[in-house]
Amino acid sequence: MKIWLWRALVLLAALVLWEAAARMLNPILYVGPSRLPAALGRVLATRDLPPLADHVWLTLAEIAAAYALAVAGGLWVGFLLGLRKTLGRIYEPLLAALYAVPSVVWYPSLMLFFGLGPASKIAFGVLLGFFPVTLAVLAGIRQVPATLITVAESMGAGSWTVFRKVMLPAMASTMVGGLRTGLALSVVGVLVGELLGARAGLGYVINYAYGLMMTAEYAALVVLVAAAVLLLDGAGSLFEARGKRGGG
Amino acid sequence: MRWGVLDAVFIPPPSAVVRALGWTAADALPRLGDTLVKTLLGYVLAVGVGVPAGLVLGSRPIAHAVAMPYVVALYGIPKILILPWIALIFGIGFSTAALSAAVFAIFPVVVLVAAGTRDVDPNMVTVAVSMGASRAQVGRKVLLPAVLPSVVTAMRVAMVFALLGALLAEMLAGNRGMGFQMQRMALAFRAPELFAATAIVSVLSISAVLFLEHLNRRLGRWR
Repeated sequence: MKIWLWRALVLLAALVLWEAAARMLNPILYVGPSRLPAALGRVLATRDLPPLADHVWLTLAEIAAAYALAVAGGLWVGFLLGLRKTLGRIYEPLLAALYAVPSVVWYPSLMLFFGLGPASKIAFGVLLGFFPVTLAVLAGIRQVPATLITVAESMGAGSWTVFRKVMLPAMASTMVGGLRTGLALSVVGVLVGELLGARAGLGYVINYAYGLMMTAEYAALVVLVAAAVLLLDGAGSLFEARGKRGGG
Repeated sequence: MRWGVLDAVFIPPPSAVVRALGWTAADALPRLGDTLVKTLLGYVLAVGVGVPAGLVLGSRPIAHAVAMPYVVALYGIPKILILPWIALIFGIGFSTAALSAAVFAIFPVVVLVAAGTRDVDPNMVTVAVSMGASRAQVGRKVLLPAVLPSVVTAMRVAMVFALLGALLAEMLAGNRGMGFQMQRMALAFRAPELFAATAIVSVLSISAVLFLEHLNRRLGRWR
């Protein structure tokens, strides 16, 4: 209870400091929290911005497509490399090396292939979301105790039964963590793509407001998107907690 | 590739990339240096502020309970959202990219170091104190070796994040550096040069991470 009080105090102090700083400084560049509700109202009324709803839907659709592809690709590659040991030994170091490269390096190339439309954003979301899913599957497979598999096999379980009844439960918690990270990164990928160059989507609207020096609207949009991302991640953590309980 | 299976405008044959590497390298090296200086400045900032912050948060349970949710939340928010604002205040150029590198790198550092510090076994401290170790001795002989691995891990992760932040800032609001250059080549459909630049940055990043990993192993032996 006391902890919650302190947390609220920290948040309050941060807001007060922000407001005080913003009041002292140039109002065009620094927007205090007190100006956000009005700006949010303006953004939603869409008087000076492109209509928001269409852009939100486009961004959500891009995220959904990117995440679906990232999960499908990540699970496939992860299981392929994890279960075929030779392939794994050949390609895992490559995967780790690619992970050590800042992902945004690939974005210009994707933009070149896929153009400025939604495809390049989806591709970047896939690329970012793919790695944590793949790595989590690989880590999960390594986690499965070999004795469990041996025991199940010696009791006459087929390979599919071993996979479903032994391996999947044993790796569930790691995999769910990877799925959650993958979602967060797919969202980041799509947003980064939209901010770096797009003709539609939430990132485009943010860039538009920023380009016209509508700082208050820009700040309101950023707070809105950040809140949405945190909410999504919160939902992901609930899902993760359930996965961990279920996996035991 | 050569036989027209893929469109050479979008996916250049490796030979063209190698040729482009030749003339890109001369042009790219100063740009790369530019990006690296920004990255390193942001990196030093992030590690310099992030490691102490992580140590404090990790060693004080109440501070950890109060502040950690916020740190994790800030870590989770896509930092690119505030990049335009940083660019608005600091202009297009050096400080924006350096600051962006710091903003991208600091949160993983705080989270990793705080986690590492929290995991230090309190029994080790109790034992050392009961055997008559002074505060300085506990710090140097017990806490430092226990915390060091997480600090080194954080330093390795921060390197990639700092480079990411600097490149992203250059792509979004830059007029120099590798990120700007890559973005410009993509928009100009100069695929061989773009691929060459991508390769240069990737090799650089991988070598930096390998170097830090090597350092990590050396330190591991020292412990």
